[in-house]
Amino acid sequence: MRSYSPVRWLVLIMALVLASCSAAAPAAPVAEQVTIRMWSHQNSAFNKVNQELIDQFMKENPNIIVKYETFPYDQFIRTLQTSMPAGTEADVIEMFGSWVCNYATGGRLQETPAEVMSYTKAQEIFYKAPLDGYYCDGKLYGMPNEYNLEYSGALVNPELYKAAGIAFPPEYKDYNSLIADAKKMTAFSGETMTTAGFHYVGGDALGFIMLGGILEQGGNYFADDGKHFNFESKEALNVISTLTRYAREDKVIDPTLFSGDNGLPGAFFKNQVGIAYIGPWAAGVGLVDYPDVKFEYVALPPMFGSEYKFAADAGWGKVVSTNTKHSKEAWMLQNYLTINRANALKFNQISGTVPALKELVDNPAEILAVAPYMQPILKLLPHGQYLGNVTDRDQLFYEIIAKNLTDALNGTMTPEQAAAKMNAEANAMVDSKASK
Amino acid sequence: MASPGSLRRSQRRFAFSVMTPIMIYLMIFSLLPMIWAVILGFFDYSPARVGGTIFGLGESNPFVGIRNYLDMFNDSQPATVFRKSVSNTFLFTFLILPLNLAITLPLAIIIERSHARVKGFFRAVYFLPTVTSAVAVALIWGAIYNPQAGLLNSMIRTIGMTPPKAWLSDPQAFVMGIPLAMIALIVAHLWQDFGYNLVIFIAALQGIPQNLRDAAMVDGANEQQMFWYVTLPLLQPTLLFVCVMTILSSLQMFILAQVMTAGGPREQTTTMLMSIYSNAFRYQNMGWAAAMSMVLFGIIMLFTILQFRFLRSDWEY
Repeated sequence: MRSYSPVRWLVLIMALVLASCSAAAPAAPVAEQVTIRMWSHQNSAFNKVNQELIDQFMKENPNIIVKYETFPYDQFIRTLQTSMPAGTEADVIEMFGSWVCNYATGGRLQETPAEVMSYTKAQEIFYKAPLDGYYCDGKLYGMPNEYNLEYSGALVNPELYKAAGIAFPPEYKDYNSLIADAKKMTAFSGETMTTAGFHYVGGDALGFIMLGGILEQGGNYFADDGKHFNFESKEALNVISTLTRYAREDKVIDPTLFSGDNGLPGAFFKNQVGIAYIGPWAAGVGLVDYPDVKFEYVALPPMFGSEYKFAADAGWGKVVSTNTKHSKEAWMLQNYLTINRANALKFNQISGTVPALKELVDNPAEILAVAPYMQPILKLLPHGQYLGNVTDRDQLFYEIIAKNLTDALNGTMTPEQAAAKMNAEANAMVDSKASK
Repeated sequence: MASPGSLRRSQRRFAFSVMTPIMIYLMIFSLLPMIWAVILGFFDYSPARVGGTIFGLGESNPFVGIRNYLDMFNDSQPATVFRKSVSNTFLFTFLILPLNLAITLPLAIIIERSHARVKGFFRAVYFLPTVTSAVAVALIWGAIYNPQAGLLNSMIRTIGMTPPKAWLSDPQAFVMGIPLAMIALIVAHLWQDFGYNLVIFIAALQGIPQNLRDAAMVDGANEQQMFWYVTLPLLQPTLLFVCVMTILSSLQMFILAQVMTAGGPREQTTTMLMSIYSNAFRYQNMGWAAAMSMVLFGIIMLFTILQFRFLRSDWEY
């Protein structure tokens, strides 16, 4: 048998390597294929429109493949928290505005490149309230798709109005007339409230009524330093006392019975509520999930005074991760989904969300054609301001404001006690986070 | 020559080969996360912040020493809720354990003495809730407790009595100082959980040698004496196991409370695990949540050691 010397072997291997290299070389230059990922929480309407827009994007940019992955809401949050330290999160993430600064200042999100959008330019095209959720320490991180509104709008039930002999749809000029109608619709079986005339007991509703109520009266929920809170002002106390009066004297809601499963908006769609204080998104949910329930969405008057003034919570938008290896493509997609007028409109139309782009509200025919229930609240949008740096939005709303307010509504605390406890707990939260 | 009881080389190799995969699995998925949790307890760690170069610890996720543990005693809202959750968890556990034993042991004796066909039927019926999803159980009991349209209130009204205003959401409803919502939760948990202990007790009762009972009968023991002096002592290892498992599962109560009450009203049903979960994944205070989980770990360990110390038996039958 013929044997090969090491030199011959080496020559043979080199020849093979060279041959394979020349075979792999492209005949003509082809644009490099790039694959990026986008993540969002699971919501059928959001997911549908995102997928449609992504498909459209891929057609227009054939060298970019976008993998769209969705997670149930709780799992989405957990996945973000575990994947970011591991550097395995998606390139583009659909994030809620009030989370953005937390992740951005922690170094998890990319600042919006100047060539994509400057904050000055963004202020011209987006409403300030949703935009400022994406503006942290003087830098812009991504952009919003939605103006999250939970203020001064309500679902109203025509059957309960009719049964109580009240004209429908209602047009309230003040809360006295609203509470008068609510009292007529409230029903009891023995001592058990079976229908609530006016339901405002929810984690979001109470939080936004509290903050909006203070602003309507010309007050401020922030203390002078802009970091701590002032919930013992006369304006704050007035909000707590008023809401308590509605529950305990006017008896238009029983917070013990209308919570949990009977919370907002569930109880409304079970025909157990006459007027439900909630954002317009609930109307979108109602149309899809409760097609047999008849309802209207109406604007309510300011609860205090005559001027609308409220705090808003940014809204869903798109951000880009610092771990992305394809920044350019990620920002192209981000841009395509949020700034492009036609795409932003499509997102709002299909997801039933309020537009963050001013242009879509200035010419509302297209959005109202799909979501006519937004009509009453579009006029409120210019009156909103971003919530601000409230340290921990969920803790403030759900653990501090809602719980203490509910205690006052239940009569387990006086409004003064609730205000003092709310104030102490909110400021302890600020101090606790600042001291660590 | 190998000493008596020691393994041969081939046996050692076999033992090593079959145990290695599971040991690696345990190290990766149990031991390392536990060590990580111990470490996190000393940091103000949030996954939202990049932090230092070593596992994200340091810099914006700073080392805070035992600060997280000390904070458990201050007046902040999370600390107050955590302390409340500890007392709720103890209350839940110490009510569940005797109630569970008081139901399962007598029922097991009755079923064990019944005809074989009936025995199988009841064992299956009582075990069914145990294999049912906890979320489903929570939804079923949530509907039963519904104040307006719930089965329980309808039954109470049918017999001419006035039901409580709300079983799960009234912060002012107490029975002998125990929140009504907690009692409602305990009933639901007992319903779901007692089948497990029941099956274990039945198996243990079947394992007691008949000749011991016969001997007691010959000695003139009546049914009660037979239970106290023969059955119960022989059940001691099973009793230890049941107590340990019941306490462990009660200390880790989460799903029923999360779905039925979400910890309310006024944190009356917030358990330690709920508090840990919400701080870790809702408020992103991983360091604080890790410290709380270490406290829970310590409590569980202490209970387990105490039970092994006081309930162990030195003999088998």
